[in-house]
Formats: sequence, C-alpha cells, structure tokens
Amino acid sequence: MSSTIDITSSFIQGAPPSELADVVKDIKALTSDDDPSLIAKLKPAFQKYNEEQLVAVKLPGANDYVLISSYNKLDSSSSSQYYDTATSTSFEFDHTTSKASSPQSYTHDTQHSSLVQSILKSLTSHFAEHYPPSSSSSVFTVCATPDDSQIAILISSTKSSPKNFLSGQWRSTFLFDPASTTLSGSLKVNVHYYEDGNVALTTKKEVENVDVGGSDGASVVRKIAAIEKQYQEEVNRTIVGMNENSFKGLRRQLPVTRQKVEWERIRGYALGSDLRGEAKR
Amino acid sequence: MADPFDAALDLLRRLPPSSTQKNLNGIISLRPELEEDLLSSVDVALTSRRCTKSGRDYLCCDYNRDGDSYRSPWSNEFEPPIEPEDAADLIPHGRVRRMEESLNAGFDVYRELYYEGGISSAYLWALDEGFAGVVLFKKTSSAGGSAGKGGWDSIHVLEVNESATKRSAHYKLTSTVILDLGMSSAAVDSLELAGNLTRQTQQDLPLSGLRDAEVEQGHMINIGRMVEDMETRMRNLLQEVYFGKAKDVVGDLRSIQPLSEAERDRAAHKEAISKMNRG
Repeated sequence: MSSTIDITSSFIQGAPPSELADVVKDIKALTSDDDPSLIAKLKPAFQKYNEEQLVAVKLPGANDYVLISSYNKLDSSSSSQYYDTATSTSFEFDHTTSKASSPQSYTHDTQHSSLVQSILKSLTSHFAEHYPPSSSSSVFTVCATPDDSQIAILISSTKSSPKNFLSGQWRSTFLFDPASTTLSGSLKVNVHYYEDGNVALTTKKEVENVDVGGSDGASVVRKIAAIEKQYQEEVNRTIVGMNENSFKGLRRQLPVTRQKVEWERIRGYALGSDLRGEAKR
Repeated sequence: MADPFDAALDLLRRLPPSSTQKNLNGIISLRPELEEDLLSSVDVALTSRRCTKSGRDYLCCDYNRDGDSYRSPWSNEFEPPIEPEDAADLIPHGRVRRMEESLNAGFDVYRELYYEGGISSAYLWALDEGFAGVVLFKKTSSAGGSAGKGGWDSIHVLEVNESATKRSAHYKLTSTVILDLGMSSAAVDSLELAGNLTRQTQQDLPLSGLRDAEVEQGHMINIGRMVEDMETRMRNLLQEVYFGKAKDVVGDLRSIQPLSEAERDRAAHKEAISKMNRG
C-alpha cells in the first residue's frame, strides 16, 4: 500500500504544465485532515517536477525569465540554487512556493565558456524565429553540465488558457558533446484539453549521437533547428494520419448506406441481414 | 476548503487520462469513503465477457454486476450464477426486460452499421415513474506500430420519465466517450492521444399508440435516435478536439515557419489586398 507521500508525489508528477497550482489545491482538499505539513514534505516531488518541466521563473527585480533544470543547478547543501548564463545571475528558488529570491551576479566556471556563449548567441536568434517571445511561458538557456563534460541546450515553451480549458508545452532538451561533436537529447510535446472531459496529447522523440558536422555554436543550433523542424512536421503528419485512418477505423461517421439508421425499421435490418455477414471482421 | 469529491473529479480531469485507473485507486486510498461515489461517477474503459449460453460477448459495468458476477443481456442470466433472492431483485422481467431485449437487438444492428465490429450491450431497470438504463459500445483496433492502436468506449446513461398520458416522455441522456489512439514510428518515438469527453442532453419526445407494445416500440425508437444523434455529435467534437485543437496548440507552442518570414508574408498579403481595394 503506497504512502500518502508516494500517492501525492505521483499526482504532482502528472500535473500538466501550468496546472500545478490546481493539482496542489486538489491534493490539499483530499488530505486536509491528515497532515498539515504534507506540502512541505512534498518538496522533493516539486523539485523534480520543476526541473523536469524546465519551469520558467521570474528573477526578482528584473523583467527577465529564466529556466530551472537539473543542468543549471548549483551544488548547495542548504537551499536550491540555480544560475542563468544569459543574465550572469544566480538565485535561490523555493520549490513549494515557486518563488525566486536573492539574485546575485554569477558567472559559471567552465572550460567551455566561449562555446556556451557562441551557442547562446545562435540559439537566441533561433528562439526568436520559432518561439513566442521570452516571457513567463517561454524560456531557453545554454549551460555546461554539472560535470563540465557537455553543454546543455534547453528550450521550453508553454501555453496556458484556463478560460478555454487548454494547456500545452514543448520541451527541447539537448546535450552537445564537444569531444565527439554529437548531439543527444529529447523533444517532448504535451497538450491538455479539459472542458467537460480530459484529453491529452503526449509525444516524444529521443535523439542519440547525431553528428553536428562542426563544433561552433551556429552548427550546433542549425542541427537542433533541423531536428525540431523534422519532428514537428512528422507530429503534424501523424495527427492527420490518425484522423484519417485509426479514428475512422473505430467508428464511421455514417454507415456504408450513407444514411442514419431508420429506427422504425430496425427489426427489418436484422432479419434481412447480409450486413452482418459481410461486415463481420 | 473545497469538497473532497469535487477535488477528486477535478484531479482526474487534469492528470493524464491514460493513468485514470491508477490515480482513481490512489485517491480511494487517501479517501476510502469516496469509493462508491467515485466508482459510479468516473468512467474507465469497459471490459467484456463471453456469455456461455449464447456464445456472444457482452460488456460489463456496475449496472449488470453483482459481486463478481455479471448479467448477460443475451441470456438474461448472471454468470457465475448468484443467489436466487438477489437474482429476483436484479434480473429484469416483463416490460423492462422486453424493452431491454428490443434495445439490445436494435443497437446490435446500429453497432454493426457504425462500428463494423465491436461489442454492444444495454441494461435497463425500473424507476417509480419510468425507467433508466445504460447503453454501452466498445471497439478496439490493434494493428500496432505505425498503424497504431486504438480504442473507443461509449457509455450512455439514460433516464426516462413517463407522463400519465403516455403521449410523450422526458428523456435525459449523459454520454461519455473514452477514446485512445496511439502509434510509434521511426520519426516519432511515440504519440498518444487519449481521453474522454462527456456531454448531456434532455428532450421531450412523442410516443404514438396506446397499447403497451406500441409504447415500448416508441421508447426504443426515441432512445435509438437520441443515442445515434449524441454519438454523431460527440464523434465530431472528438475529431475537432483531438485532431484540430491539439494540432493548433502545437503550432502555438512552436512555429515551423520562421516568424520573420511569416511577418513578411502577412505584410505582403496586406499590401496586395490594399492594392486590390485601391485599383
């Protein structure tokens, strides 16, 4: 039997992007009597969620939004600290309240700093051409991985429209290995619609050791752009294909007769029925 | 503080539909007192059994269940058999059973025409001033790989209030369709569209004839039409939401066409339009 922490942690992991607050409200209503400190105990679940969702965070005292992930995390025993390459800032982040604080000037020490800057420059143009302007819902970053062996390139774009019962998210997570000049990573897209129902689109693609054909920022971003484009086109094609094939194969829009059922005569259908014989599959 | 039952329903509407059963179990362990209400309010994919008497498949739900036994709409018997006293309460007879048989026969034809396969079942029970029932359909396809897998489950719950005059009746219908589609290919590791939508309607519909048989026939016709119209509406809605909205949102998240190019196209288009208007 799973504990309350296990069950509620899995609820948190399943929250669609931008609906975490609603999920937490529901968790509180379901556990109110039992443990007032439950929310505090769920901090590891919140942290995992925020880092995996590449959550966008507003830096206090600035208009900039930055991204949270396991790659731009700083080792700190006391609190959760992250840094942002583009603004040269580090900050603390409270996972339970989703608030950033204590921004400080910070430049991360890495052997790849010029490559990181070169990729960041190209990525900034790529982002401007394909994603909504950087804001609470779309962010990107480039940084060295904690072990300093690869460069992490992260993009997250979220759409939230509670009035229309819609939410969605695109996440690009790439790791560039300068030693082999290859890219690996994943593309993940989720869409959620919840008016009188619950409909979810989930799709992902893993990318492994793709040769970039160059080791400068422009080549890396060019390759990322090509991978993203191909994937998005394929996702669109797949959705259309599903509509025309799988969906139709489940239930037709109209019977083969192209007419609705004549219910007064339905006994007649049953008696006459070569419909049954031929259609039995 | 929100009502726990409403919170449970809201939670299940937000978490991934493919893990509804798992999340339902989780919520029930947090709040065991909600179990009965949740199980009767939350729709999950239907299971089926084979009726040993008739050799036909039928669908299982709470309304044809007693413990671990289910009643087949074809044989009107519980399998495995239940205690005679319970059977006397649960097994419909007379008018209700006649209408149930008629609905099952009618929907069997409907099923073949629209689903070209699959399973259908209808179960009715008496109310003080009318009757209620549930009509179920299930169709799956599992070609696999890039052809994908899919499942459609319809659950229609109806309530019929008859008037004293028998010239008409009031029909209430709450319909849920659970639709799952998934595929995988080299270009897209996995893509899954899963979920459910619920809609309701109610109508006053006429009944012609005064003899019992005519009234029963009238109910069958009215219910058949209502379910058919509802399913058609929902199929269109599902098509629009699953394939239209979802695709649009992906386009909002990321633009395939470079935005500066799109802007140039828009400006050129505007220029062309204004030239046409001037000329």
